[in-house]
Amino acid sequence: MSLFKARDWWSTTLGEKEEFDQGCLCVADVDNSGQGKITINKIIVGSYMGYLRIFHPHPVKPGDDMQAEDLLLEVQLQEPILQVEVGKFVSGTEGLHLAVLHCRKLCVYAVSGTQGNVEHGNQYQIKLMYEHNLQRTACNMTYGPFGGVKGRDLICIQSMDGMLMLFEQESYAFGRFLPGFLLPGPLTYSSRTDSFITVSSCRQVESYKYQVLVFATDAEARQETVQKKLSSGKRLAVDWVLNIGEQALDICIVSFNQAVSSVFVLGERNLFCLKDNGQLRFMKKLDYSPSCFLPYCSVKEGTINTLVGNHSNVLNIYQDVTLKWAAQLPHVPVSVKVANIQNLKGVIVTLSENGHLQCSYLGTDPSFFQAPRIESKEVNYEEFNAEMKELQKIIREAMKTQDILPQSEKRRDLIVTAEVSPDLDAESKAIDSEVKAEVVPSVTVKVTVQSRVTAQKPNLSVCVQAPLAVTCDQFIFNDLEPDSSETVVLSVFLKGNFPPSELEGNCVVSCSAPTDDSLCSFILGIPKVAQCKFKLPLRLICFPAQPSKSANHKITIDTNKPPISFLTIFPDFADPSEDDQANVLGFQFLTGSKITLLASKTSQRYRIQSDQLEDLWLITKELTLRLEEHFKKQNCKDFAYTFSGSIPLQEYFELIDRHFELRLNAEKFRELLSERAVQFRAIERRLLTRFKDKTPAPLQHLDTLLEGTFREVIALADAAEENQANMFQAFTKLKSATHLVIMLISLWQKLNADQIAIMEAAFLPLAEDTQELGWEETVDSAISSLLRTCLSKSSKEQALTLGGQLSMPKDTSRLKKNISLFCDRLAKGGRLSLSTESATQQVAAVPGGCSTIPESDLEERVVVPGSTATFTNHKHAAKQKSKP
Amino acid sequence: SGGMGPDMEPLLRAWSCFRRRKFRQCAELCSQLLEAAPGEQILVFLYFILIQAAWSLKTRALTEMVYVDEIDMDQEGIAEMMLDENAIAQVARPGTSLKVPGTSQDAGPSPAVRPVTQSGRPITGFVRPSTQSGRPSTMEQAIKTPRTALTARPVTSASGRSVRIGTASMITNPDGPFINLSRLNLGNYAEKPKLAKALFEYIFHHENEIKIALDLAALATEHAQFKDWWWKVQIGKCCYRLGLYREAEKQFKSALKQQDMVDTILYLAKVYMRLDQPVTALNLFKQGLERFPGEVTLLCGIARIYEEMNNISSATEYYKEVLKQDNTHVEAIACIGSNRFYSDQPEIALRFYRRLLQMGVYNCQLFNNLGLCCFYAQQYDMTLTSFERALFLAANEEETADVWYNLGHVAVGIGDLNLAYQCFKLTLVNNNDHAEAYNNLAVLEMQKGHIEQARALLQTASYLAPHMYEPHFNFAILSEKVGDLQRSYTAAQKSAEAFPGHVDTQQLIKRLKERFAML
Repeated sequence: MSLFKARDWWSTTLGEKEEFDQGCLCVADVDNSGQGKITINKIIVGSYMGYLRIFHPHPVKPGDDMQAEDLLLEVQLQEPILQVEVGKFVSGTEGLHLAVLHCRKLCVYAVSGTQGNVEHGNQYQIKLMYEHNLQRTACNMTYGPFGGVKGRDLICIQSMDGMLMLFEQESYAFGRFLPGFLLPGPLTYSSRTDSFITVSSCRQVESYKYQVLVFATDAEARQETVQKKLSSGKRLAVDWVLNIGEQALDICIVSFNQAVSSVFVLGERNLFCLKDNGQLRFMKKLDYSPSCFLPYCSVKEGTINTLVGNHSNVLNIYQDVTLKWAAQLPHVPVSVKVANIQNLKGVIVTLSENGHLQCSYLGTDPSFFQAPRIESKEVNYEEFNAEMKELQKIIREAMKTQDILPQSEKRRDLIVTAEVSPDLDAESKAIDSEVKAEVVPSVTVKVTVQSRVTAQKPNLSVCVQAPLAVTCDQFIFNDLEPDSSETVVLSVFLKGNFPPSELEGNCVVSCSAPTDDSLCSFILGIPKVAQCKFKLPLRLICFPAQPSKSANHKITIDTNKPPISFLTIFPDFADPSEDDQANVLGFQFLTGSKITLLASKTSQRYRIQSDQLEDLWLITKELTLRLEEHFKKQNCKDFAYTFSGSIPLQEYFELIDRHFELRLNAEKFRELLSERAVQFRAIERRLLTRFKDKTPAPLQHLDTLLEGTFREVIALADAAEENQANMFQAFTKLKSATHLVIMLISLWQKLNADQIAIMEAAFLPLAEDTQELGWEETVDSAISSLLRTCLSKSSKEQALTLGGQLSMPKDTSRLKKNISLFCDRLAKGGRLSLSTESATQQVAAVPGGCSTIPESDLEERVVVPGSTATFTNHKHAAKQKSKP
Repeated sequence: SGGMGPDMEPLLRAWSCFRRRKFRQCAELCSQLLEAAPGEQILVFLYFILIQAAWSLKTRALTEMVYVDEIDMDQEGIAEMMLDENAIAQVARPGTSLKVPGTSQDAGPSPAVRPVTQSGRPITGFVRPSTQSGRPSTMEQAIKTPRTALTARPVTSASGRSVRIGTASMITNPDGPFINLSRLNLGNYAEKPKLAKALFEYIFHHENEIKIALDLAALATEHAQFKDWWWKVQIGKCCYRLGLYREAEKQFKSALKQQDMVDTILYLAKVYMRLDQPVTALNLFKQGLERFPGEVTLLCGIARIYEEMNNISSATEYYKEVLKQDNTHVEAIACIGSNRFYSDQPEIALRFYRRLLQMGVYNCQLFNNLGLCCFYAQQYDMTLTSFERALFLAANEEETADVWYNLGHVAVGIGDLNLAYQCFKLTLVNNNDHAEAYNNLAVLEMQKGHIEQARALLQTASYLAPHMYEPHFNFAILSEKVGDLQRSYTAAQKSAEAFPGHVDTQQLIKRLKERFAML
């Protein structure tokens, strides 16, 4: 990433499909044309194809392409050129000559030019001064005044198998193997320390003194010893070693006037600067893959400037470790040099692997990246407007029908219906019934689930109150198609050995309708629920029996119509052949108890009698229902029935006491159980310590004790379970009786439906009857609340005294008192109502009551304008991508 | 390879290719060499050396193909986090831990101003592997946090990215693995440091067989008489990968004693971060800076830690220091830019982003941010063009979604609620996990009076992003309005948990409590 690009001064592309690498570029005054102080550099490039080219660019204006006369020389040598270097390679002269390294040959040429009359008439030619054929494949070379010779350069070639071959100009001097060699690394010569520096395959910078090389075992000789006893030859002593932990691309020795002389190593991931003795001066972690580098000068005292090219086409310029400049290049440079060409000092010469040669300088040309234009059409506002309107319309339409969440719909999409067959099953389907009767009848219920939309996995559950039971209570269907239905058949029968309190059942179907929009697919759809109730026939739990004259409990219902023959309203119980059944009818529950129903011949009354109060309920209910139905059929609208006797509270209270007694029992059992359990654990602990003890001790009958306690616990648990069953039975009876009492009260006080609902809510809490929260305290608190609000006599009673948590009372006297009081208040004209208006009216009517808490103040603050809802913040979020 | 001279030796060619990072070509040339019969090679000894060289070069080439700097490889999986046996102080002192968000002494930016990530940290300006750091405190929370396409945290890091890298042998070598690790005699190689180092990197980076790599490194360091710092660093790397952080710390420290290296410092700091000791890591970095003054990676490391500790001002200081050393550092520019944006200086943020654009960063995110900056700096003319470009450049649907989301904000800002509605809808079309969009859509629905829709959308939003306080708060307000005080209270509690300093939430809770007391 860089802001600027390197300014192109001159560039050209060499050959076609040629390949170049690090050693292929050299910048020097190869033809010795420089006079005195002025050095005019030429660019020498050799390629793997064997072409040698020498350039002398002199563009008319910056950015010009190559002109024919810029290319001084182009020759094709027979072998690939690995490296070109210019130095004083020929003995007897200090003139610069060109050394060309081939795979198996080293050639030294003299380059000379003949001036023509005009510039393009200049002629250049090379002359081979000498050549060396190499025994081994060469890899790279370095040169310098080895051993401190004056006025000439010696050449050292590294071979692919790790031999350093030294040439003293026209003659071969000696060869030495590098120790621990595997693959060649960069090689360079430091004249200050007179040593060769390379990076070995062990990932360390190694320095070898020239003197040591001279006196080491000769490579040829060593090779023979090696063959005998591999790698045990005399080791070449290394001057110093620095472990840098990575392979290197290049090494440069730097000595500028202002700066400490140092060794620069370009690793694969770091740039290192070492002192002459191999200590690390500094390093810089590179966050890119470098391709080449060149420490080129020292601008500021004590620092060194380095050019580093990388594989992201950027040339970075560092002053020690601080990035000073970054410039875009048009290619990945494999080699970079700085040259003085024409009158221009410090031209950056870069070469890419496919032969793009560029001379450039730094400048503030913005980098050539330019965001491409987005195709933009001529804006025709009218057309756009029309299209926009059209689209808006479509969107509006679409939103009506298929939004993420469909609008709440009026029509019901999911319907469940239950149909109870009018007759009992011919063959009873009852299973596991505890009823001791000969036949336990069952009745078939057909449940149909219909859906107008797709319903995913509808789940139907059918429930009836115990002791009734169904043959199957859960059904899961496959997905329902729109406008299809599913039907299931099940049977209901009496399971427990006591009459139920209600002859009703409930079906609930739930499913999720898929959202119309596929985007919300991960929301499992909108849950939908439908339910329906069904009524079960009386015949399911009782059968006709002989009426009995006497009974403990009797209730009488008055009507305003002459009595109807039971033959008409109870066709399923009365036998038409027996005339007297017209006004006397006997019922017997499957569980045994009998109920007799009498119709008065003279007055408009019905009497229901039985030995148990709770048994009256179902028959009374059935009678009123059937009567209502009968008169409805006859289109008689003014039918009414009342109850004028006294409410059988005393009998009702007995049932409450019975239930409460069982609760107390349960409590007792619980305490006993926990006591025994504690005892059991204590014995266990004792036993365990005995067993764990290393010195065995006698058990001292602890085992007998454990056994005994265990039996006690089991016996207690059994008793508690039995008590629980009894309690459930008692509760069912209590519920039946409660239903009856509610009905009688409502008939007695002629309550309307709303008032009945309030009473039912008070007396029949939906919560289950449990030990912690039982029926007694729930009902007690509900009734006291009613007594304190709508049935209150004075405002004193209205003072809210919240009793805190509900807990099991000690006895039922308070409840009984409250129920009696409740009846009393109703008899005196109290009205059941939940609306606060009537309550506040009452408050207003009674002066001197304590003032209610003013609500206005509060309300002002409660209203929160919708605008306070907060939008989530801008997701400014995203960010640049992490490094590639 | 047409340009190659006919008589260029294959190993030399391979070597040259490697230097120019043409790894595939290099590996192919080496394979040819390895397959060729000894043939004309007269000396068996020379042939043996050649084979070794080719083998080593190929190993290096294959490694380089898949090389990722180990320092950048850091994503803690859920399994690592929760099954971490390294006991770390549960209740850290303020400013010493990254585990508890907001432990910095001076108040960091509030979530009302700057969005936060799941772990309760302000979102950063630059996506890097460990930006999700900060660990959930319970397994439940870790699992509960939804792993949507964008926020995915792998179940374990061993199965996430590393496995993908582990299959590298299939990618680089279709005929099966180059080296059969199970048949390797590690002891043999450990004695040859020239081969062992390349082999180690191959096993570690290419084959991803950490245990074998560790065995090799252990043998090699022993062979080097514990004098080679490089092997110690490698053992430390292996230990880190295997979750043996204390062991890794020991190795890195020992390596640093032998040789100061920037990488070793970075690795050691990484260990400290994983051990949740950011202060130690900071000190280490600062010591490192004394040895390597101006090292960008160290400065950047400090800045990242400060940022994660919610100490934005210090982070910015160090990012500035980074820019003094390397003014092309994209991460530093982006982070300073986003800090400026969230500290209400969109104009200055704009300049930073423009700089990135000039430098050649050309992606959806940048234009997205430029668009937002322009909008808040009231340069409306450029706002829509920037977003247009962002949409044009979006590489995937998530990015498109983000752009539409921000456009939605602009629409809200100019009061065009219809447009806003459609923008948020489009966000969801492109990315249906976009919790923020659900929330904002819900607010719009609320204003229209569609209570049911709003509620459903808010629930979705809070399900998707339990770390955001907005959906909870909005839900609380909505519930309160319709009289569902219980739910309102629950939601308000959640909101307070996500953003304890939110005044409106506190007021709401207070109000609700008063109400409850009256009942």
